[in-house]
Amino acid sequence: MRLPTQELFEKYQNNLYAVAFNVCKNAEDAEDVVQDTFIQYYSFKKQFDNEQHIRAWLIRVTINKAKNMNRTFWRKNKMSLEEYMETLTFETPESSELFEAAMSLPEKYRIVIHLFYYEDYTVHEIAGILKLSESNVKVRLSRARSLLREKLQEDWENDE
Amino acid sequence: MTNKEKYKQAFSVLHASGRISLEEERMKIMKKKARFQAAAAAVAVCLAFAGGGSIAYAADLGGVQRKIQLWVHGDQTDADIVYNANGSYDLWFEENGAQEERHGGGIAIDEDGTERSLTEEEIIEHLNQPEVDYREDGSVWVYYYDQEIDITDQFKDGVCYVKVSNGETTLYMTILYQDGYCTSPHKYESPDSFN
Repeated sequence: MRLPTQELFEKYQNNLYAVAFNVCKNAEDAEDVVQDTFIQYYSFKKQFDNEQHIRAWLIRVTINKAKNMNRTFWRKNKMSLEEYMETLTFETPESSELFEAAMSLPEKYRIVIHLFYYEDYTVHEIAGILKLSESNVKVRLSRARSLLREKLQEDWENDE
Repeated sequence: MTNKEKYKQAFSVLHASGRISLEEERMKIMKKKARFQAAAAAVAVCLAFAGGGSIAYAADLGGVQRKIQLWVHGDQTDADIVYNANGSYDLWFEENGAQEERHGGGIAIDEDGTERSLTEEEIIEHLNQPEVDYREDGSVWVYYYDQEIDITDQFKDGVCYVKVSNGETTLYMTILYQDGYCTSPHKYESPDSFN
């Protein structure tokens, strides 16, 4: 099955943007990645089992494109993460601190943390999306949680 | 609040700006551009990090005109190439009766970090690198000169190792599923070395 690109765009563009930003740490690059991801969906007439299959595929393609973007040495006047954060309106200071702490993690931990805590994927599902073993995902999740706990202390519960 | 609720609250501030467009013409143009960015990214990975070498290709795929022989999807074809002094190139060739064009180029970063335009030889070398093709039917193929290898079922934990040769040069490829690849004339590079 396939769903119209426009429908998927309206439903998932912000989720994909958050995923891409999580990898790229840059708003312009993240938007280019989201654009390219929808182009790939639009161009490749791949069939899917259901909407969850499409969502997982979109996220996987977004992550791969974002990783590639990080390696391409594009020359742009990029806004730093700190500058970009100043344009965001966080609900609480703790949210801002959590955002900054999460974005300071190594990329491989950021992705796993984001898929688990923001996209509500299970370890099994994350392993499928990232083409990793479940044990590898568990290790990354555990290390990422420890690092967040170190950085945020009592603002991050021990939920291992 | 649970960690999940805290995390969602923190990251809910991220919204796309509205610059992204699904307008058809833009999609077609971007589709072409995206193809070359992906190719450049793969090359950058190879040479910058795993080759241990002196050259890293930067992106920005886009003189002197000459004819070259080019391998495209396992077939050798004549191509016209224009090499521009800024390190970019424009390439035209026929594939399956249709006129195709590619534009590419970028910069090289020498060992001391100095940036310079790519030379014509470096661009030709880049064009002769193996190509990994993810087809619409889900299969994955490697092309190198006249070699066509179906590697669809050879991925384990998202990594595939494959050896290609054109009779003179043998390359050991480490391919990460939809995530770039690395070649070395000496050995299979570890996925960690370029990921």
